[in-house]
Order: sequence, then C-alpha cells, then structure tokens
Amino acid sequence: MFSLFIENFRISITSVLANKMRSLLTALGVVIGILAVTLMGTLISGLDHSFEKSMEFLGKDVLYIRKYEWFGDKEWWEMRNRPNIKIKHANSILERSQYAKYVAPVSEWYTSVKRDANEISGVRVTGTTGAYAMISTAEIEKGRFFSSSENRSGSRVAIIGKDIADNLFENENAIGERIRIGNYTFRVIGEIEKQGKFLGMFSLDKQVIIPIGTHQRLFTRRGWTGINVRVDENNIDNATEEITALMRQFRHVRPTEDDNFALNRQDPFKQQYSMIKLAIGGTGFFITVLSLVVGGIGIANIMFVTVKERTREIGTRKALGATPKMILMQFLMESITICLFGGLLGLGLAWGGSFIINQYFPSEMPIDLALTALGLSMFVGIISGLAPSYKAAKLDPIDALRYE
Amino acid sequence: MSLISLKNIYKIYNVGGEEVRALDGVNVNIQENEYLAIMGPSGSGKSTLMNMIGCLDTPTSGLYEFEGEMVNEMDDNQLASIRNRKIGFVFQTFNLLPKATAQHNVEIPLIYGNVRRDQRKNLATEALESVGLGDRMHHKPNELSGGQRQRVAIARALVNKPSIILADEPTGNLDSKSGQEIMEIFDSLYQTGNTIILVTHEDDVAKHAHRTIRLLDGKVKEDISVAA
Ligand SMILES: Nc1ncnc2c1ncn2[C@@H]1O[C@H](COP(=O)(O)OP(=O)(O)O)[C@@H](O)[C@H]1O
Ligand SMILES: [Mg+2]
Repeated sequence: MFSLFIENFRISITSVLANKMRSLLTALGVVIGILAVTLMGTLISGLDHSFEKSMEFLGKDVLYIRKYEWFGDKEWWEMRNRPNIKIKHANSILERSQYAKYVAPVSEWYTSVKRDANEISGVRVTGTTGAYAMISTAEIEKGRFFSSSENRSGSRVAIIGKDIADNLFENENAIGERIRIGNYTFRVIGEIEKQGKFLGMFSLDKQVIIPIGTHQRLFTRRGWTGINVRVDENNIDNATEEITALMRQFRHVRPTEDDNFALNRQDPFKQQYSMIKLAIGGTGFFITVLSLVVGGIGIANIMFVTVKERTREIGTRKALGATPKMILMQFLMESITICLFGGLLGLGLAWGGSFIINQYFPSEMPIDLALTALGLSMFVGIISGLAPSYKAAKLDPIDALRYE
Repeated sequence: MSLISLKNIYKIYNVGGEEVRALDGVNVNIQENEYLAIMGPSGSGKSTLMNMIGCLDTPTSGLYEFEGEMVNEMDDNQLASIRNRKIGFVFQTFNLLPKATAQHNVEIPLIYGNVRRDQRKNLATEALESVGLGDRMHHKPNELSGGQRQRVAIARALVNKPSIILADEPTGNLDSKSGQEIMEIFDSLYQTGNTIILVTHEDDVAKHAHRTIRLLDGKVKEDISVAA
C-alpha cells in the first residue's frame, strides 16, 4: 500500500503544481487561519515572557505607596488634589510596621545624562536609600550601591542602568568615571544588570540611581515621590491593611474620609493581563475558526470541480483496477495536500511575523503550536475533502469513461 | 471450461421512460487464445458488451462467468481486482494520464496491484520494449504521436499479463498507417498466446481476427470463425 501512498502523493503534488494560482487561492483561508493561530500563539508567548519579567521587576512582595492608583476607577483629578507622599514617612513605617522588612523612599525626575559629547535624554533619575537595593530584584552587576554615609552626606554618586552604560561607555569601564545628570556632575559607582522593557513599553535600563538627599536638593520637588515597602510575601494582605492604617494616621485622614494615597501591588496587573490575553486569544481563535471554516468550504468546492474535471481519469483508473477506496484516498490526499501547502505557507509567514513580534517582545514561535497548526490544516483537508472524494470513489466506471 | 461464458445477458437502460435494450439476450462463449472481433453498426451494443466482458459493467440480467467465477455476484472491490489482474483495456482515445511519462502510465495497473517499485520498473520497461517504445520511456503523452500513445496504452494493458486484452475501436483515432502498426502488435500478442477481443466497424481491422461476432440492436446476428 506504500506504493499507492507515494503515487497518491505524487498525483497530489502534480495537481497542486499544475494549478498553482488556483491552489494558492483555494488555500488562502487555511493560510490565514494558520497564520492567525500561530501569530497569536507567538504573541501570547512573547507577552507571557515579557509580563513575567515585568512582574519580577515589581516583585510579589513589594507595596508601592504612591499618590496615584495604578488601577481602579478613581478619577485622576480626584487623586491630583491629594497631598504628595512624604519621604519622612518611610522611616515611620519602618519603625512602626511589624510586616515591613525594608522601606525605601523614592523620588523620581526625568532629565538628560551626558558624558562628553554623548547625551541621552529622558533618563529616569531615581533618588533613594540603600534599602532600595534590598527591595529591587535587579542585581548590581559591577561596582556597588551607595553607602548610608554617602546617602546622608548627599554625595554626588550614581548607579547607572544598562542603557546608560552601553550608550555612554560602550566597552569602557564606567566605574569611577564622571557623568553629568542634568547640570550636575556625578561619579559612577555601580552598574545595574540589564532588566529589559517594562511590559514592552519603556526601558527599565534607562535609569540612574542617586542618593535621595542629593535628589531632593538638586532636582527640586517637581518629580513625584513614593515609598517602596518590601514585606513578607505570605502576609502581604495583612501588611497592606497595617500600612494603610499607618499611612492614614501619619497623614491625619479622618475615619470618615477615603484614603488620600494608594498602596499599589502587582496583582491587579495580573488580572488586567489575563483579560488582555483572553482578548487576544479570543480574537485569534475567532479569526482562525472563521478562516478555516470559510477556507474549508472553498476547498470542498474546488475539490468537487477537480473531481468533475478528472472524471474520465477516474474512469480510466477504475478500468485499470483502482478500487473505490483507492480513488477516495487519492482525492483525500489531494485535498490534504492543498491544506498542508496552505498550512506551511501560513507557518512560513507566521515565522516571518514572529521576527517582527520579537522586536517588541522577546518571543519565539512555539514548536508545539506549529505542529498543532499543521495537524489542524490536515484536519481541514480531510473534512473538506471527504464529500468530493466520496463522490469520486462512487462514480460508475462506465459513466466516468463516457463523460465528455 | 470456457474463459468467458455469457448466458442470456440483458442490459436495459431506461431513457425518459423508454426502454433501451443495449444487450438483448446475448449468449457468447470465448476460449483462451481466441482473436475475436465484435462488429456492428453504431449503437448496436458493441461497447456495452465489451464493458460487460471487462467487468466494468454489470448486466441487468443473465449470468456471466469469468474463468469459472460468477462475475454477477462480485462487489466493487472484487470487480476492481479482476480488472486489475485479468483484464487489459485499450481505449479508442488512449486514456493516458497526460502529466505522467510513458513508463509511469504503464506502471499504474502495477501500483494498484501493489507490485514493488523495482519490479514495477522492470515490468514496465519490458512491456514498453515489447511494443517498440523502449526508447520513449520518459516521454509524456504530448511528446508522442497518436500511434505511439496507443502503443503505450497497449503496454499498459499487457503489463499485468492479463487473461484477455480488450480493445474498443483501438484504431478509431489513428491514421491508417499507425492503425496498421497497432494491428500488427495485436497480431503478435495473439501469436504469443494472448486472448484478444476488439471492437471495430472496419472490415480491414476485423479481418485480423479469427472470429467475428456481429451485433444488431443488442442481439448477436452472426458468429463466424475462420480457421487459423
Ligand atoms: N448509460 C446509458 N444510458 C442510456 N443508454 C445507453 C447508455 N449507454 C449506452 N446506451 C445505449 O445502448 C446502446 C448501445 O450502446 P453502445 O454499446 O455504446 O453502442 P456501440 O458501441 O455499438 O456504438 C445505444 O443505443 C446507446 O444509446
Ligand atoms: Mg462504442
């Protein structure tokens, strides 16, 4: 039976190649279907990867005390009137909270960073304390974080992110060198490892970290301030409750009033993300199913035409000893071949597309998904080829031979 | 025992409520190594009889025994198997696969007969050489003349070493010279022991055979044998 399989495959290839344009148009639905499903898979895998890394950056056990909520239904203008987060409360939290392990005040401002003629603008300048190093998941790759005495004395020392190191120093050693942050000269004492983009949007590596006292003095009070608190992961809900109460107390919020600050966590990102994922998955699934169904109907149609065109050939084959089953297999194979051809084309395009996705989210086309996609196109081939092949198999040999 | 035994064969079509008797009570016995011509005017039932003998068609009523087996009672698969192993068809319009080489065309019955690839190649080469096309194995039908195409078709018909070779107006689409060449091939096939049945309405063709059956309106009018 193997010979017959080879023969059928040969017939199918010949037939597909003989009608290249027709085969292509016929397979278009399958091409789009497979393209959609694989691109969607690639995108989701890239998003997953990027999301996980971004969540790692935020940390599962860190509370971000901020003026604004990251998520929620509060109007921004309501939050705008809230008093700023006071840096001094960082110490108060550390003293009073039983769940807080490390507390780092942060103050942020965006400005340019220069070295000689090279300049990077829009760099995130974070002012903080040594506790920041204990809260952040990013490691110091070279050099060191600043000491508490450097912090207290308001030294002009900076830890630079990977983007800054790469752009201003290339292959040179940055440690000990001088850079200008805004209008002030700083000495580089450390480099942070590469962190990538946050949710594919902005680079986490375009950052410099300086002592908070220095930050407050040099970069005015125009940037925002906040407090990052690392707590015991298992007690994060208790910690949230406790620190909320402490903050209300520090900020003299009356019992009848709402909180005038936000305790942000990574969890809502997850909920938001699952919804985005569901939306992408749903859309992809819908496009895939729709194009495969439409494509399948088109293929069935063309296969009926093919059977009609080749009626005399079918008659001849039957006269030469082909059984109905052999004829059925021949046409089924042809329909599967068209679909596989479409599937492979779709995969090829998706492979190209995955490079584009990769530019935004590091990702690769999942192999199992590619195989599933090919299986799916075979399935479409079988389903849409069944009726035309059955018709061919059941043709009366005499009628088929007489067919004009 | 006859190779082929047709007893009281009827083939009746119903065309728009009207009965058409393509075969109207045919009784024919054919022995091994006969050279038989079926003649008669157009519409007399020649092709119908030929297709019946070739197990392509089944009678409305009557008994058909092929090598002692009841063809009437066979299902589609058994009929396909008999056609594949026992019968070689040659058509008026050649019926070659246009995209396949001569060799591949000849291999088709072997593929359906599940013959191994290397063996297939040998048998196809042998068959093509026997019809004088050893040097045209890799030509496609559109690269061959009409006579050469029909010779490929004959090679295809005899590649399985069938019990009978059936040819329905094999020279009908050929010029007289090519037709003559084709008839010479049939003659030599007959001489090497094959059973040949051909349909024709040309006396020149029929005179190659040693027995002639004349049909008229689905009935056998005449069945004449000439001593070989
Ligand atoms: N499928 C069919 N349906 C109806 N009538 C048919 C069919 N096939 C053959 N016939 C009729 O049977 C008769 C014999 O046909 P055929 O055997 O082809 O004749 P011949 O080959 O001698 O010219 C003709 O009258 C033809 O019209
Ligand atoms: Mg005829």
